[in-house]
Amino acid sequence: MSDPQRAADMDVRKSRGGLSWVWIVPVIALIASLSVAWQNYSQRGTLIDIIFQSASGVRAGETVLRFRDVEVGTVEKVAFDEGLTDVIVSVRVDNEVAPYLDDDAQFWVVQPDVSLRGVTGLETVLSGVFIEGTWDGSTDVAQTEFYGMDSAPLTTLDQLGTAITLRTRDGSALSKGAPILHRGIRVGTLETPRLSANGENVIVDGFVDFPYDRILTTATRFWDTSGFSLSLGAGGVELDVNSIASLIEGGVAFDTVVSGGERVSQGYVFDIFEDEEIARNSVFVNPNTPTVEIAVLFDDSVSGLTKGSEVRFQGIRIGQVADLSAIINEMDGEADVQLQAILSLETNRIGMDADTTEEEALQFLADYVENGLRARLSTANILSGALIVELIEEENATPATLDIDLEPYPIIPTADAAIADVAETAEEVLARIERLPIEELLQGAIDLMASIERLANDESVRDVPEELASLLKETRALVASEDVQGIPPDIRDAIGDFDGLVQSFVAAELATQLTDALTVTTEAASNISDGTENLSEISVALEDLLTKVNALELAALVTEATSTLDSIDTLIESDETQALPASLNETLADARAVLVEAERFLASEDLQALPSDLRTTVTDLNAILAQIQAAELVLKLDDAITSAAAAADSIETASADLPAITAELQSLAEKANALKVEELIDEATQTLASIDALLGADGVDELPENLNLSLAELRGILSDLRTGGAVENLNSALSSASGAAEALEDATVDLPDLIARANALVRESREVVESYSSRSRFGAEALTTLQGIQDAADAISALARTIQRNPSSLIRGR
Amino acid sequence: MTTAREAGLVACRRCGQVEVISAPHCQRCGSALQSRDERSLQKVWAWLIAGMIVYIPANLYPMLITRSLGHTSDSTIFGGVVELVELGSYDIAFVVFFASVVIPIGKFIAIIYLAISVQRRSILNMHQRHKLYEVIEFIGRWSMIDVFVVAILSALVQLDSIATINPGIAAVSFALSVLFTMLAAQSFDPRLIWDASRNTE
Repeated sequence: MSDPQRAADMDVRKSRGGLSWVWIVPVIALIASLSVAWQNYSQRGTLIDIIFQSASGVRAGETVLRFRDVEVGTVEKVAFDEGLTDVIVSVRVDNEVAPYLDDDAQFWVVQPDVSLRGVTGLETVLSGVFIEGTWDGSTDVAQTEFYGMDSAPLTTLDQLGTAITLRTRDGSALSKGAPILHRGIRVGTLETPRLSANGENVIVDGFVDFPYDRILTTATRFWDTSGFSLSLGAGGVELDVNSIASLIEGGVAFDTVVSGGERVSQGYVFDIFEDEEIARNSVFVNPNTPTVEIAVLFDDSVSGLTKGSEVRFQGIRIGQVADLSAIINEMDGEADVQLQAILSLETNRIGMDADTTEEEALQFLADYVENGLRARLSTANILSGALIVELIEEENATPATLDIDLEPYPIIPTADAAIADVAETAEEVLARIERLPIEELLQGAIDLMASIERLANDESVRDVPEELASLLKETRALVASEDVQGIPPDIRDAIGDFDGLVQSFVAAELATQLTDALTVTTEAASNISDGTENLSEISVALEDLLTKVNALELAALVTEATSTLDSIDTLIESDETQALPASLNETLADARAVLVEAERFLASEDLQALPSDLRTTVTDLNAILAQIQAAELVLKLDDAITSAAAAADSIETASADLPAITAELQSLAEKANALKVEELIDEATQTLASIDALLGADGVDELPENLNLSLAELRGILSDLRTGGAVENLNSALSSASGAAEALEDATVDLPDLIARANALVRESREVVESYSSRSRFGAEALTTLQGIQDAADAISALARTIQRNPSSLIRGR
Repeated sequence: MTTAREAGLVACRRCGQVEVISAPHCQRCGSALQSRDERSLQKVWAWLIAGMIVYIPANLYPMLITRSLGHTSDSTIFGGVVELVELGSYDIAFVVFFASVVIPIGKFIAIIYLAISVQRRSILNMHQRHKLYEVIEFIGRWSMIDVFVVAILSALVQLDSIATINPGIAAVSFALSVLFTMLAAQSFDPRLIWDASRNTE
């Protein structure tokens, strides 16, 4: 061994005592690992066990627990309990929510579900099933073991609304998830129906959502809406079907018919009635009325009596049959089977206060029984054979008592049932129906049918349609015949003539003449107007005259007038006078005839010739005037006028004396005033009266009537014309003319094209011809021909333009 | 057999240059020269323990977190192997199992064996132990395959909701474990194997 060796050995050994810095690394690694582990451990939640009947799709490590769709845990283990009856799903729940998992927590597995109410849980198709939980926000005693539900609860715990309990005798119409309806809309859901503890009722929990739960009161009634109801009544067949969902799933509906009910608390118990009508009627029956229960024993068959059958007293419902059972009654050592009906009587319906105790009510009944109150079976419905229990007062009843202390129920004595005779009546009715001569009736019906058949098979009857068909054919031929078709054109021609007539009127300038006549009339009117200006003076004089007239002894006048009138009356009443109007009429007729002749005369050629004669005369006159003019007559006339003017001047001077003349005239009028006007008036009055009488005669009355008749005839002719459809025909003729015009218009639209084409043709032709030889004879002829064609085309063009401008000219022929 | 130390020499472990034993640095490459690494065993043990510690979470925690259509699945190393076997991919299962379980654990055992044998100055199988050391040195890096696979998958499969792959805690732990064991193997001074025979003489 050498020194360097030893030295090196020494070095190694010496340095082995110190610790390398590398040791930090495992320490850090250890700390890091432990801290990660601790972190994981401390953050892992509480392990809870949920017990399911089956856990389809639940997988350890994958399936999550959700609360309001938020992941709050993961399934760690899926195992069985001892005996393999249940599946225990261990779920690691976040520490945050673990304290809330108390008694009310519910868990269920969410799976895709397709039902009548819709499709739920679709999200699980991709992600796999998950466990949903629901619990409230209060921390109670936290638990770690829960029982899972088969399916989702229909209501979550924090849902607003009212939970109710429904009670029914028949749960067949109810199923889980069935709707609770209010006026047809879904306001809640039913849970799974279950039997009540004593097995008598079916109880189902329901939940009515907020805000519909506010409708619920103690006066609310529920009824079954499942399936459909078919009712046959006087109004026909009525089929009532609710929603398909309720048809299949069942369901209940409710309504609060009367107000005044109190708000219900959670879990309030309602009864489900069979149908809406019963439910509504039941509102008027207070379900909380105090009742007293008594038993009744029947020896006879009670077939037809059911639970709920009515108990009536003198026709009024006072209660119902609460129960029916058979009991063995040992009497005199002999066992006897009797049928016991428990009657539930509403005490307030037999006239007792609500405060009446059961003992008081029973005592009352006991007293009544001693006075003859008995129970008996009675028929409620002849057809269905349903029975009711009737309480009657039987006279001369065998004495009996009601032992009010008897347990369990006091027994009320019975009377004979009132049902036997009903069956007998029915039998009798059936027998009578049997005796009816139905065979003969049917035979008669068959005979009737046979004769109808014979009649129908008769050939003449069969021919009827054919004849009808031929008749129709003939009618059609008639309508289609040329004569009939030709009628409208004829009418159109007539209208054309009429049109011409009107045109000629227009041409004759009738209007102008009329205007002239009117001008003349206006002048005459103005003359009259001038004349009336003098009237005021005259009226003053007349006024004076009237004043005097007023001063006359009118009374006497009237008396005289009356007598005169009487005499005129008698005169008029005479046959001659009566005949006067008739003769007047004749005279008028003659006059008319004369007028007609006059008219004819006026229309005669001689008269027509008169104007021409006149014209010739005028011509002669003109000639004479010309001669006069030539003879310088005008100058002479001038002289004459001058002398006339001088004469006028002298008249003017003379007129200065006029006031004097007027004064004389006035005095004259005064004298006239002083005359015996009275007599004059008498005569005038008489005359007027006679005229009046004349006018009052029958014949005169007839005059207007005749006139009226004539007018009526005229009117009739006019209306005949109108009803004859002349106007319509005219209209149709005009519309067809208009159609023709339109067609022409359409045609003329094409005309320019045609003309253009014709022009082009002519041009081309000319070119062709020119290309031949302008000097050749053929060419010249062709040229002239083409020129003619062009002219024709121009003419057509002109025509087209005219028509285009004024289409109606074609119709009018201008 | 004469050692360099006995000859008063020291070899550079990096470039193979032979220097006198008193030389502090290699004249060729400048690295520190030690005739024997006095703290070799300490370092070996330290790295080894660190590697073993982090190897535990690498196996317990998920290596890959796969999300596919809202469906999340975590797979640990061994869980993945079992799954592959169940799916019938025996070859891939073997590769994964070999690279992720057999090799790391084999390395732990081999390094422990080497370290203890040196401490006890065992003179048995010195040639085989040296060969074992070289095998460990060579094979150590291949364990990183797992980590690379996870890294590549995580980078490639990011299809939002359809499919996503994320590395779990185990991936980091495993990578650290491989790293630590490689360092442990590197810290081991194979010359110590041969010193035992010299000292017992």
